[in-house]
Amino acid sequence: MSRVDSSTYILASILSILYPLYGAIQFYKGAVAWWLPWIGGEEIQLGVKVGDAYIPNIFPDPFSGIILIIIGVIFARSIYLSKRNPGLADGFLFVGWILASMMLILNLVVLAADILDTYYPLIWGGEIEEPWTLGSDPWGISPHLILGIIAAPIYWKIKYLLKQLIP
Amino acid sequence: MANVKRRMIKVALAGNPNVGKSVIFNNLTGAHQHVGNWPGKTVDKKEGFHRVDDKVIYIVDLPGTYSLTALSVEEMIARDYIIYERPDVVVDIVDASNLERNLYLTMQLLELGANVVVALNKIDLAEKAGMRIDHRKLEEELGVPVIPTIAPKKKGMKELVEKIIELVEGNPRGYSGKTLCYEPRVERFIERLQGEVASREEITKLLNPRWVAIKLLEGDEDVIKKLSEIEGGREVIKKGMKLREEMSRELGDPEVVIADARYTVIKDIVSRTVGELKRLTASDLLDSVLLDKYLGIPIFFVILWWWFQIAFIGSAPFCDILGDGFAALGEVLTGITGHPFIDYLFFGEYGIIQGIGAVLSFVPLIMLLYFILSLLEDSGYMARAAFVMEKAMRKVGLSGRTIIPMIMGFGCNVPAVYATRIIPDENDRMIAILTNPLMLCGARLVFFSAIAAAFYGAYAGDILFSLYALGVVLAFMVATILRKTFFRGRASPFVLELPAYQKPSFKVAAVRMWDRGSMYLRKAVGIILIGLLIIGVLTATDAETLTFTTDPERSLVAAFGRSLAPIFTPLNWDWRFVVAMIFGFVAKEIVLGASAMLYGAGEEEIASRLASLYNPIVMYGYMTFILIYIPCIVTIAAIRQETGSWKWTIFAVVYGLILAYIVNLLIVTLGHLLLG
Repeated sequence: MSRVDSSTYILASILSILYPLYGAIQFYKGAVAWWLPWIGGEEIQLGVKVGDAYIPNIFPDPFSGIILIIIGVIFARSIYLSKRNPGLADGFLFVGWILASMMLILNLVVLAADILDTYYPLIWGGEIEEPWTLGSDPWGISPHLILGIIAAPIYWKIKYLLKQLIP
Repeated sequence: MANVKRRMIKVALAGNPNVGKSVIFNNLTGAHQHVGNWPGKTVDKKEGFHRVDDKVIYIVDLPGTYSLTALSVEEMIARDYIIYERPDVVVDIVDASNLERNLYLTMQLLELGANVVVALNKIDLAEKAGMRIDHRKLEEELGVPVIPTIAPKKKGMKELVEKIIELVEGNPRGYSGKTLCYEPRVERFIERLQGEVASREEITKLLNPRWVAIKLLEGDEDVIKKLSEIEGGREVIKKGMKLREEMSRELGDPEVVIADARYTVIKDIVSRTVGELKRLTASDLLDSVLLDKYLGIPIFFVILWWWFQIAFIGSAPFCDILGDGFAALGEVLTGITGHPFIDYLFFGEYGIIQGIGAVLSFVPLIMLLYFILSLLEDSGYMARAAFVMEKAMRKVGLSGRTIIPMIMGFGCNVPAVYATRIIPDENDRMIAILTNPLMLCGARLVFFSAIAAAFYGAYAGDILFSLYALGVVLAFMVATILRKTFFRGRASPFVLELPAYQKPSFKVAAVRMWDRGSMYLRKAVGIILIGLLIIGVLTATDAETLTFTTDPERSLVAAFGRSLAPIFTPLNWDWRFVVAMIFGFVAKEIVLGASAMLYGAGEEEIASRLASLYNPIVMYGYMTFILIYIPCIVTIAAIRQETGSWKWTIFAVVYGLILAYIVNLLIVTLGHLLLG
């Protein structure tokens, strides 16, 4: 039996819209930047401008866009199954949450790696070429991180599955 | 004397691995057992005796197998024993907690015409998992005795022995082993062939006609070989192959169709004999999602994408630190010896120190790739990933597990070749090793991305994508050819035991990362040193005076390149391209730097310099050559180590060179014909 309440499915519904939305924009921007530069529209953003950066920053990458769309589809599938097969719906919600968390971690690792890559010459007294800023980071705070944070509360509803899997 | 006259009952124990077969063997034989080898094989043969009253039962423990497809030594032994030694009874030990998978072997034993008794073992575990198996109903469905057993507690052993004796001594209950019919569209083909087989007495006195028909439709090479040695067998084979082709056209790959049909029959039996699960476990739920028909593969790609992003981006600063550190070391040490030749050889731009730095700078990436791979393996996910990819990979003659080293090959071919160790079948593994260098690795990407941007502008992404795709397509083609020539047979069947999910251990992953990574380190450093020394000496030696030179055009390597240039004239290369290609033998990243050096441009200007000298078709041809030709020296060392054979290592080098030349020639010729 499912232990997930309707409020969690509302959250999953929001995620099932946001992931594909950001994914589609990212795919479009990536396709334009990589393959179809004459079409234009690389500047599209769907976020708040803070300083020189957008939060979230939709960087152009078609593959990353596809990944976000797939995660959205997984959340959508959990909603579709919520009435028909609640147990399986929890399974999709669980996998969706895991993937969302993995993307969040990835964004944090990227930020840490980019900062380290900028400042490591200081370790042996060298000079840095350009200081790191959120705006100059190719990823920045991307939808991967923001949507991962939004998905985080799902953990409290599906942790019973995690405990069954890894007692 | 009465004992001597009495016939001994010959019993074979069959079953999947880890079903408790050895425990039952030990229960039945006690101290009366002997361990040897199967004739001509290195597989253990355990045999023993069980005495009950005045009867003697001779028991042979067959190797554990998931099926009887004769694709492994174990399967061949089990199958041949049942066919040729004709045991009175085959006790099929079935794991009750995993009934569906285990009945696959049961069904094949029944098809073989064996006199089967099913030992429904681990019945306690099945009950704990919420399964209620109606063993009487199962007996009815299969037409053979079914005895519930709990081997460690010796429960059901007495009943098992009684049933064996009952079957041999008259079979009063009339067990006959049911013919389990497949779905009509498959059954139609079996029946047509079965009739043909049944009319040949020479075959039927040795083999079960229905089994022969099924095996011929599956294309079982061992059965074909056996039949060809029997009178009238060749006609049956001919008819079988004709029907197999017909079946293939109508229904798809017969082997897959029959396996699917077998599972359909098994599912029906299970649905009628097993009570509803009390509840789905978390593991079942997760499997339902991760192995989902539509989303299983996309989820796999999400995880792969994440893995590579984390590994490549996360390791980048550490790779840069190492690379810069060695570059700085080279600069500091330049001039220290006072001998220009030695300075150039060791500390120059293409010297030993820089070379070692280039190799070591990959270590963080490789370590991180391995670390995450270990975590994914430990969690139990990688077995699921291989499972979801199985169908697609089998179509090109590759095992499902090949997908992992293939994808790793996009990062670096060296760890990818080592990663083929996850493929259990030796033939599958050899094919995976030999085709892996065709995956476009990160080292080649350095050269390709620079050139693609300069030559193809807005289409650079498409060009890069086409090179990735070309590598994959060629790998599939080569795999198909290898499968049909040197590594005959089919990709090993995928009866995979999915391990339980578990929390991955960071400590275990770290240890495994170090084991695998340090292997790369030892090989890479050793081989790159020798390779760089040879090329360094050749580049720094004047071809005419055999004295030191800093002018690569006058060097021995240039002379060597010029001597080879005529071979590459049909590809429209000049000698510099030949030399750059030779440099790439050490490490593919060097192609860009070597081209820059030879064309007298910096690494930043080389692409535009080349664009002024060559047209896009010639350049695309050259890129395909660099993609396909011999793997880098470290990959060659890995291939040598993993194949354990110089023959296959040389094969990998030679076929790469020939294939690269052919593809390049085709591109240049057709490109100029089509585009002028």
